[in-house]
Amino acid sequence: MTWNYSQKTTDLFMAAVQGKPGTHLGEIEDADGFGEHGSIACGDALRFTFRVNRDLDNPLKDRITEARYLTFGCTSAIAASEALCAIIEEGDFTPIEALKITNKDIVDYLEGLPQAKIHCSVMGAEALEAAVFNWAQKRGVDLAELGLDISRDEQEEGRLVCTCFGLTEPYIERKIQELELKTIADITNAIKAGGACMSCHHTPGGLQDILNKVWGHQPTAFKELPVLPIARQTKARPPQEMSPFKFAKLVEHVLEERVRPLLAKDGGNIELVDIKDTIVYCSMRGACADCIGSARTLKMMVEQALKDHVDERIRVVEV
Amino acid sequence: MSIIYLDNNATTQVAPEVVEAMMPYLTGEYFNPSSMYEAARGPADAITEARKKIARLLGAAKPAEVLFTSCASESNNTAVFGTIAANPERRHIVTTAVEHPAIFEVARDLQRRGFEVDFIPVDTQGRINTNEFVRALRPDTLLVSVMHANNESGVVFPIGELSRITKETDLSIVFHTDATQTVGKLEIDLRSNFKHVDMLSFSGHKLHAPKGIGALFIRRGTPCRPYLLGGHQEEGRRAGTENVAFIVGLAHALELATASRDEDVPRITAMRDRLEKELVARIPYLEVNGGQAPRLDNTLNIACHFIEGEGILYQLSAHGICASSGSACTSGSLEPSHVLRAMKVPFTAVHGSVRFSLSRYNTEEEIDTVIEVFPEIVASLRRLSPYWDAAKNQPRPEGLEMLEQTEMPQANP
Repeated sequence: MTWNYSQKTTDLFMAAVQGKPGTHLGEIEDADGFGEHGSIACGDALRFTFRVNRDLDNPLKDRITEARYLTFGCTSAIAASEALCAIIEEGDFTPIEALKITNKDIVDYLEGLPQAKIHCSVMGAEALEAAVFNWAQKRGVDLAELGLDISRDEQEEGRLVCTCFGLTEPYIERKIQELELKTIADITNAIKAGGACMSCHHTPGGLQDILNKVWGHQPTAFKELPVLPIARQTKARPPQEMSPFKFAKLVEHVLEERVRPLLAKDGGNIELVDIKDTIVYCSMRGACADCIGSARTLKMMVEQALKDHVDERIRVVEV
Repeated sequence: MSIIYLDNNATTQVAPEVVEAMMPYLTGEYFNPSSMYEAARGPADAITEARKKIARLLGAAKPAEVLFTSCASESNNTAVFGTIAANPERRHIVTTAVEHPAIFEVARDLQRRGFEVDFIPVDTQGRINTNEFVRALRPDTLLVSVMHANNESGVVFPIGELSRITKETDLSIVFHTDATQTVGKLEIDLRSNFKHVDMLSFSGHKLHAPKGIGALFIRRGTPCRPYLLGGHQEEGRRAGTENVAFIVGLAHALELATASRDEDVPRITAMRDRLEKELVARIPYLEVNGGQAPRLDNTLNIACHFIEGEGILYQLSAHGICASSGSACTSGSLEPSHVLRAMKVPFTAVHGSVRFSLSRYNTEEEIDTVIEVFPEIVASLRRLSPYWDAAKNQPRPEGLEMLEQTEMPQANP
C-alpha cells in the first residue's frame, strides 16, 4: 500500500522534517494555550501551543499570533499539524474564533487526505480545542457563558467502548454527530475507534449500536460467522493404574533417587518438563546439555530407570 | 535515482537466469501439459523435471511429495484445511503468536468455528520456549504449524527439535512448517534435519523467482485432502492447469540459490552485521529486535524510540531506499505488527520499527548509503517529536518515564 498523499501534504511534511523557515516546529514556553491529543501507545500524539497578543481590557479580544506543534506520528499527522498552525497564523483569529476551525478545514488546506488518514486531521482539531480551553482557564474566560460546550469529562467518564484506543460512548457519540460519521469505517478513519482488535464493531452497545442510536436503525448485511458444533470428544486412552498426581510424584522420585546422582557425577542434571499419559518430557541441564551422548543417555538410562520403577510403558522425550 | 532494494523479505527481484529459463514456456511451448498430442510433451516434461529438481534440493524422498500451488499462502491454507478435512476426529491445533497471517488468521478463524488453538508465545527476543510448546501438545492435537523463520524479526525457530518432539509424542500429529523465508537461505534437508516435518510451504518470489508460484511438500502417507477441487492435476491434490513457466522458474531459482548459498551467506551476513553495528553506534535509543536470537542472515529489524515508522519509510523512499515497517500507519490496521507486540517491543519504539532485508544483489555501497542517510532521518523526526529533546539529543523526562513501561497497554483480549 503505497502513499497516496497530495503534493501539499508531502511538501509540508518534507519542509517540516528539513526544518525549513516558515514551518511551525516547536513548543512555545509559557504558552497562552496548551493542548495535547493522542498518545505514543496509540501511534500518534500532538502537542499544540499558541501565544496570543493579550488585550488588556477584554480577554475575548486576544489574538493568536504564534502557533507551534510537536508531533509523534506518520507523514500525514505531521503535515496536518503544520496545516493547523498555518491556518491559525494566517487567520489572525481570537481563540474563540479559532474554535470554528474543523478537521475539514485542515483536510482542505492539505488539498485532501486519504480516507484512512482522516484521523490525523481530527487529532489537530482536538488538540486545538484543548488548547483553547486551556487558554480560557488561564484568562478567566467562562466558555459556558458564551454558550460553548465544555463537557470535557466525557473521555474519562462514560462506558468504555473501544478499549484499544480508550474511547468512551459519550465521546464516540459526540464525534459521530459532529463529523457526520455514518459507518464503522467512517468512525475508524476519523477517530480510530474500532481500528485495532475490531471486537467492538458489532457487540451489543458497540459501534454499530451507537451508529443506530444516533442515525436510527439501519439494517446491515453482517451476520456472525456460523459456529460449527462443539468439538467431538476424542477417544480416551487406556487409564493409568495410578492417579496422574501419584504417577508424576513417582517419576520425580525416581529421577531424584536414581538418575540425578549418576548425572551429578559428570556435572549434569535433568529437569522434568511435562508428563502426558506415559510420555515423560525431560530436559538435560549443565554438562549433560551439550553432551553429544545425552540423547542416548536419556533413552537408555532414564527410560530404563522409569520403566523399571514406575511403569514399563513409559517413553522419554528429550526437550 | 537508483533504487536500493532492502525489502527482500517482502519480495525479491527475479533473477535474470530465471527469466531466461521461463521464456520458452511463455512463448513457443504454450501447450497444456495435460494434452495428449506430442507437442504437449515439452511442457509436461518440464514440470516433471522441475518437480524432481525441487525434491532433490530439499531432500524429499519422492518428486510426487512436491505439490505446486500459486503462493505460500495457498500452500499454508492447503496444509491447514487439508489436514483438518482428513482428520475429522481431532480438533486441537498448536501454532505460534508470530505466524504469518496465512497461518495466524486462518487459525483465528478456525477458533471462531469451534476448533481449539494454542498460540505459543515468544520471549522479548522472539524465541519460543520449548517447554511451553511441549505442554501445549494434547491427545487430540491434530496439527502443529510453526514457521521456520519469522518474516519480520528474522528469528529462526528450532524446527528440527520441535518436529522431533511432536512426532515422538504422537505420530499422528501432523507437523507443518512455513519455510517461505528460509528455503534457499538455510539448510533444509527433509531426510536429516527436517526428517520429522510432514509438510513444508514456500513460495517463489522470496527466492528470486516470480510472484504467483508456490509449493507445498507433503510427506508420503500424510493424510491431507485437496483444497482446490475440480481437476486431476497434481495427482488430484490441487486442481488447475499447471503454471508451467513459473514452475520451471521456481525450480531454477531454488537451484541457483542453493548453488550460491555458501558464497552468498557470508557476504550478506557481513553487510547486515555492518549495517546493524553502524546504526546502533550512530543512533541513541535504538532497539535491535531479535538481536540476541538466532536470526536469518539477511534480516535487520530495528525500532527507533519516540518516532513513527511511516515518516521514516517516506524519507527513505525519497532516497530511493526500500524498506518496511511494523508501525500501525503502514499495516492497514491501526495496530502495530502482531509480531513485534508478541515480542513486547516497548510501546515507545514499536511504532518506529523498520525492517531491512537484504539479498545477494545488494552491495557494500548501498549499505554505505543507508548508514549515511538513516541517522539523519531519525534525527529529523525526533526534532518533531513531543517526547524528544532535540537540543540535548535525548528523550524528554516524560519520554524517559514511559521507557520504564515496557509492555504495550493491554488490548482487548
